[in-house]
Amino acid sequence: MGSAKNLELTGAQALVKVLEEKGVTHIFGYPGGANLPIFDALRQSRQIQFVLARHEQGAAHMAEGFARIKNRPGVVLATSGPGATNLVTGLADALLDSIPLVALTGQIPREFIGTDAFQEVDCLNITMPVTKHNELVHEEAQLVPALEAAFYIADTGRKGPVLVDIPKDVLTNSYPHQFGLPLVLPGYNPTVIGNVGQVKKALKALNKAARPVVLVGGGVVSAGAVPELLEFVRKLKLPVVRTLMGTGVIPVEDPLYIGLVGTHGNQAANRLVQKDADVIFAIGTKLGNRATMRTQLFSRNATLIHLDIDPAEISKVIPAQIPIVGSIKETLRDMLRRIQEKPIRQNQIPWIIGKKSSHLLATQDQAEVLELVIKALSAIDRPLHVSTDVGRHQMWANHYCTNPKHLPLLTSGGLGTMGFGLPAAIGAWFAQPDRSAVNLTGDGSFMMNMQEFAVAVEYQIPLVVCVFNDGRLSMIRELQNAQYGKRHIAHDLGPRIDYMGFAKAMGGTGYRVLHEDNIGPMLLKALNGGRPCIIDFDLEKIAHSGHLHAVANQ
Amino acid sequence: MEHRHIITLEVEDKPGVLSRISTLFSRRGFNVDSLTVGHTHRPGISRFTIVVQGNDQVVEQIRKQSQKLIHVLTVQDLEQKRSVMREFAIIKLDYNLEDSKEINEIVDLYGGRMLDSGEGQLIVEFSGTEAKINKVFRKLEKFKVLESIRTGKIGMQIGSL
Ligand SMILES: Cc1ncc(C[n+]2csc(CCOP(=O)(O)OP(=O)(O)O)c2C)c(N)n1
Repeated sequence: MGSAKNLELTGAQALVKVLEEKGVTHIFGYPGGANLPIFDALRQSRQIQFVLARHEQGAAHMAEGFARIKNRPGVVLATSGPGATNLVTGLADALLDSIPLVALTGQIPREFIGTDAFQEVDCLNITMPVTKHNELVHEEAQLVPALEAAFYIADTGRKGPVLVDIPKDVLTNSYPHQFGLPLVLPGYNPTVIGNVGQVKKALKALNKAARPVVLVGGGVVSAGAVPELLEFVRKLKLPVVRTLMGTGVIPVEDPLYIGLVGTHGNQAANRLVQKDADVIFAIGTKLGNRATMRTQLFSRNATLIHLDIDPAEISKVIPAQIPIVGSIKETLRDMLRRIQEKPIRQNQIPWIIGKKSSHLLATQDQAEVLELVIKALSAIDRPLHVSTDVGRHQMWANHYCTNPKHLPLLTSGGLGTMGFGLPAAIGAWFAQPDRSAVNLTGDGSFMMNMQEFAVAVEYQIPLVVCVFNDGRLSMIRELQNAQYGKRHIAHDLGPRIDYMGFAKAMGGTGYRVLHEDNIGPMLLKALNGGRPCIIDFDLEKIAHSGHLHAVANQ
Repeated sequence: MEHRHIITLEVEDKPGVLSRISTLFSRRGFNVDSLTVGHTHRPGISRFTIVVQGNDQVVEQIRKQSQKLIHVLTVQDLEQKRSVMREFAIIKLDYNLEDSKEINEIVDLYGGRMLDSGEGQLIVEFSGTEAKINKVFRKLEKFKVLESIRTGKIGMQIGSL
């Protein structure tokens, strides 16, 4: 970018210019009165492709999927009023999973703000608690700096969504916009490298530990620090457990890998963090209640070393004896340099190796079919984008999506947003179109954003949606079984829906699987077709077919 | 242990900053006793003084979460012993001649000021520590207080930061 430039442009033209300078290639969104000037300016851009979602929430999740694959901010564009409110779930999802997004909303012209004008909502205040930062652009001069800051804030420190709300007249007025001015953000100084004293303390504690364990979260993935992490744990022979967002950080077959912690985790992994370990090195995890279950059970006897980019995550729920604030990648590199110079834990054998204990998933109600399908998918040895939705199938996917070529597993961990999976898979494909996409979804979740299948058809995306069709919200039923004395209500999705027919109606291909023998072949056929399709897995029929049925009858 | 903390925030004086601070405090469930905000001697920079209840861990979270806001420049937990704290109060009283002597004595004793008198009403002001303002209110209880307002604390640390 270099030195500042000064150009007479409309706000919308200036906006497109900033996006181009930031390397934006795709925008996901939806038009409306207040943001139409941006669309008009976008017509002039040869660099930026606009993808019309069918709902702003879908657009936000597409931008998230895109961001996770590209590892840079996804861009989503919506209009004022309902456009902005439809974004809220996507923003919250990105905030909780630390996904960099730049969200742009049109706002009504300045002279009408505060008058309850048509399609006016207080976007700034509505989105404040679900963004890392947001701004309403009050003056022409603030537009470019606000946009440039948005990309910087979204993509540095702990990543997250940043929203810029732009009144329509700011977009249409011509103004001598200045580009590339130095950012003035005196209150924003993301930490990079962990404090030396703390790093030394941590290494000392690990050196002395008899039963150390490393707990990894999604922060390791978003920091791009997986190679450093693997080198570190392999050098020091440290067993590894992970959270839901830490999927795939370490291969399942690795002897150092013990399992998933938390409510839906593995027994052995939970035992380690609750009881057995004497030192826990938690990296890039907020130690949320899903992972630590009842916090008082966590880490009772252990020294907790907690490394995170966000100081506010440390000692938020569980007090850390050795807090380290810093970039995970840089700090692990620093640690590796130190143990290179002054080796620790030499010639150790791991004090425990992964026995691959059983998971803690409920196995009732045809859950065995989920396992079969997901295992069959993992056996397909080619690069794929794989996303999940939220519910029982998400937990099974988290245990059985083990093929490293299918990672990162795109899943909504923090917010648990049903309807995330289909648009996220579409966004991932736009980020990297040389691999096909697969969305594993429940029938409940699918119906939350099924309209986005039209986008897959429009672009002929090689996308396979696997709908686990059981006519109910199984996760809810499971909870009612376990916690409400099997008193069932509101889990039944009523008359069965013909997802094969739906796929056809939308212009895609539909398949149905009724027998377990067809699972693997159908997945292959669908993937080889290279077109948007939906496979309707009838869980009940499959469970009563073939081998599974025989086993059940013995 | 739960106790009171006085937190000061220096912020960039941007639109919506008050909303940002109050959203953060309510969303994280931090209990606010009082909140004041005003400009400082530095252009474009405002200062909040917020009195909250909580244990040390809660206050540490407040500090860290506030620091995460892009427009927040500094966050301090004022240790009560090393800082000066003041509150300001304005009180309107219904008065008659019998009471006026006693009221004047209270105003003199606590360094208050008469701001207005007439039509059977008085307006007085007081400033000082919270304890002193509490005492003033207790002394005035026996008269008829028509309206009152307290600013909540403002404070500053003694010595350099
Ligand atoms: C938007 C949203 N609403 C409600 C929930 C609560 N919830 C969690 S799982 C679940 C059921 C999911 O059902 P389905 O998608 O069919 O998946 P399954 O559990 O059957 O695998 C519900 C309702 C949620 N996570 N997200």
